[in-house]
Amino acid sequence: MSVPHRAAGHAAAGVAPRISARVLAAVLLLACAGDARRGTPPSNELLIVGYDREPDTLNRYSTHILEDIESCVVEGLVTTDERMNVVPVLAAEVPTPENGGVRQRPDGGMDVTWRLRPGIRWHDGTPLTSADVKFTVDAINDPTYNPESTDGFDRIASVDTPDSLTAVVHYKEVYAPYTLQFVRGLLPRHVLQGRDIDRAADYNRAPLGTGPYRVAEWKTGEHILLERVPDYWRGSEYPRIRRILFKFLTNTNTRVNQLKAGEAHVVALLPWDKFREVSAVPGIVVHRMPGNAYEHVTLNQRHFPPFAELAVRRAVAHAVDRELIARTILDGLAPVTDGAIQPLSWAYADDIRRYPYDPARARALLDSAGWRDAGGDGAREKAGRRLAFTLITQAGYAIRESVAQTLQRQLAEVGMDVRVQLVDGTSISALWFDGKFDAMLHWWHMSADPELTLFFAADRTPPQGRNINYLADDSLTRVLYASDRTVDRARRRALLQAAQRRIAELAPEVPLYSITRLDAIPATLRNFKGNPTHTGIFWNVHEWEIDPTGTGNPAPGTGQLPGHREPGTGTGEAAMGPSIAAAGRDQSAPGAGSPVPGSR
Amino acid sequence: MFAFALRRLAQSLPLLLLVSLLVFALLHAAPGGPLSTYLENPNVRPQDVERLRRALGLDRPLHEQYLAWLRAFVIGDWGYSFSDGRPVAERIAERVPATLQLIGASFALALLAAVPAGVLAAARRRGAADRLTTLVGAAGTALPVFWLGLVLQLVFAVALGWLPSSGRETVGGGDLADRLRHLVLPAVVLAVAHAAGWTRDLRVSMRGALGERFIAAAAARGASRRAVVWRHALRVALPPFATVVLLDAALVASGAVVTESIFAWPGVGSLFTESLARRDYAVLMALLMCSAAAVVAANFVADVVHRALDPRLAR
Repeated sequence: MSVPHRAAGHAAAGVAPRISARVLAAVLLLACAGDARRGTPPSNELLIVGYDREPDTLNRYSTHILEDIESCVVEGLVTTDERMNVVPVLAAEVPTPENGGVRQRPDGGMDVTWRLRPGIRWHDGTPLTSADVKFTVDAINDPTYNPESTDGFDRIASVDTPDSLTAVVHYKEVYAPYTLQFVRGLLPRHVLQGRDIDRAADYNRAPLGTGPYRVAEWKTGEHILLERVPDYWRGSEYPRIRRILFKFLTNTNTRVNQLKAGEAHVVALLPWDKFREVSAVPGIVVHRMPGNAYEHVTLNQRHFPPFAELAVRRAVAHAVDRELIARTILDGLAPVTDGAIQPLSWAYADDIRRYPYDPARARALLDSAGWRDAGGDGAREKAGRRLAFTLITQAGYAIRESVAQTLQRQLAEVGMDVRVQLVDGTSISALWFDGKFDAMLHWWHMSADPELTLFFAADRTPPQGRNINYLADDSLTRVLYASDRTVDRARRRALLQAAQRRIAELAPEVPLYSITRLDAIPATLRNFKGNPTHTGIFWNVHEWEIDPTGTGNPAPGTGQLPGHREPGTGTGEAAMGPSIAAAGRDQSAPGAGSPVPGSR
Repeated sequence: MFAFALRRLAQSLPLLLLVSLLVFALLHAAPGGPLSTYLENPNVRPQDVERLRRALGLDRPLHEQYLAWLRAFVIGDWGYSFSDGRPVAERIAERVPATLQLIGASFALALLAAVPAGVLAAARRRGAADRLTTLVGAAGTALPVFWLGLVLQLVFAVALGWLPSSGRETVGGGDLADRLRHLVLPAVVLAVAHAAGWTRDLRVSMRGALGERFIAAAAARGASRRAVVWRHALRVALPPFATVVLLDAALVASGAVVTESIFAWPGVGSLFTESLARRDYAVLMALLMCSAAAVVAANFVADVVHRALDPRLAR
């Protein structure tokens, strides 16, 4: 039997591989033929952004992800700048009590008068008027439309339009964050009136705006191309870059490879563990900016009653060496923080109680509260209950996993038995919303308005809010609600600072570090300012310019490495990923690596 | 033949119904839902979550949701995406060409490699070709697709600059050569993954075929060696091999998930990944049903092909 087979094999070897080799060679040749260009350098003709996800819709009020692309097209009455200041865009000025734009009514309500900048037209030439302001409020409060959030709009009773450039918004109650009410822009009345906005695909996929760019093309699954508008209201010299291309690249490694190959020029929200790798890419700088978000350990008093004891919470805080975590695991990229409001906010309080690393003090606190390790198993007990709990955190992010393990070890040293449990992104949201956890390592991305009520008021536990510490402190709750009803900036600051001091006293959670935002940009890009809030980095895109001389004007902090770094430590292999770095709008994007390893 | 087709169709309907029930139950049993991704955003208030839950129909009892879905699905109304509000059918349809293109190219490459390699390895057992294909086949099966994809990107796009690292075409410059250049890396990666397995499948089939008595008879009658292997043996070995290839095609049609993600390929796989992350039940249900239907259809086609190729079954 074997003889003819062997012989037959010779014949086979002669024909088939030759054919397939020829075809293969032809295919490869054809494919590699033509100009084998290595990407295109950024220019004022075209800037390419490697973006980590495809938007659901470009309607700013409907979208559940960041509004980076939208903010190039649809402008708000205001925006927030790189220092979180509210600055006017379509509004002539930001209304305040001082300039007569805000009046409190005797019935407890409030009137805010928005004056529009004259001469602004929608991209189709129709003038922008106060009727668009009124339409926007009415549309969002219309139950047939499903915007992402009705926050603030639900407190508006009506809108008056005394003239085409003036809109008076009547609030039912005093609403302190009123300045940001129209940060997402206006819905064009002449396009959307009488229509089902949820299904208005023409608008939702290519919204009519007043911004420096319009949507030239949205190729599903691939890219969105923006093109400058000819008569931008800030002057025909703006915007300086003719086209911006947003490529959808969900895989973090692919985004970085595109940067390296020159196929993408900007990568927003770079994962921390890519910082060194991308900093070394020629022509690219990494812009660093403290974001308005903080990583912390939530201590659920309802689910794990020992956390209801102040001494236990303070002991946890003293037992954690946050400086060590920041220096080693975080590679010095993120600064240690002491509270929910970050130093860049106007409401930040510096004079609060702090909890320096002090394990001896942590042990003393637990001793005095009656928690003793009678059993000798390393975990303290009191009244038959062990000081043992589960710390949950999101799976898939090496940095978080490392931090969780460090916390576990540090807390063990003061007599707490911590079990770390990793949970996938969507599930963890459901867990905390239901309050089904002992402790959780996670972050909140805070609104540009420094509201704390949602997170700390006694009556704002889920589903009413996000007080998942289940902290119940009457004096704090009173101060928080007072701060929401105070429009005067100085008085509101005083109230919010009092609240921060009270929160620090109560130690309902353990703040760890601020979330630093990393954005990779071309070294030749001028006027890039960055942004710590949901507003995103494109808020001043009209000013962006590629410097033809190639030197650029990188902002302070760009590409600098921190001084401290212990040998032998790093940021871990897997990406920190969007859920840490991205700003909380859509936790869902797959991080680095394959979503389904092993499948094809 | 027609009766055969009808019988198979009748058998597959209850199966698809069962699949839809299981898939629906599993999707809803998974923790978190379409709304849980909104919870992190402080601007989405509790009343917003409740409002969105009602708008998406998620406040109704599960069996009601399922029956409503089933009724609509059967008459061709696949509903609207939870994510972007567009019709589900439209969202899926626009992804199909890219996936078919990727499958076509990668399967062509994989077949060009697997068929000669499998035949050669079987024809010269324990010869150099057999050892080589076994080794390469094992490596091809063992290499994770995401790793191979990233390595090829680094070599051919970053280091050499010969090929684009990802995407389907250069924006504004999508002529045929440009599209082919974009196709090479993802097609090769997917081809490697399949070719390795197929080579081994074909080798086993061929070994079986070459052991048949009619092969020895053909050789004894003086058929050339080439004819014995390529005409007589391969004809017997092909039907089971075709079944494997067709079933693989059905599976990949429902998404080359990792390959598409790494190469930013705008196919069904990347739609699936995105929809899964956003728990877009409407799109997921439709995709998974299409996938199940594709497997059923591929099985049917494989049977037909099997009958056509194998003279023994045709009788």
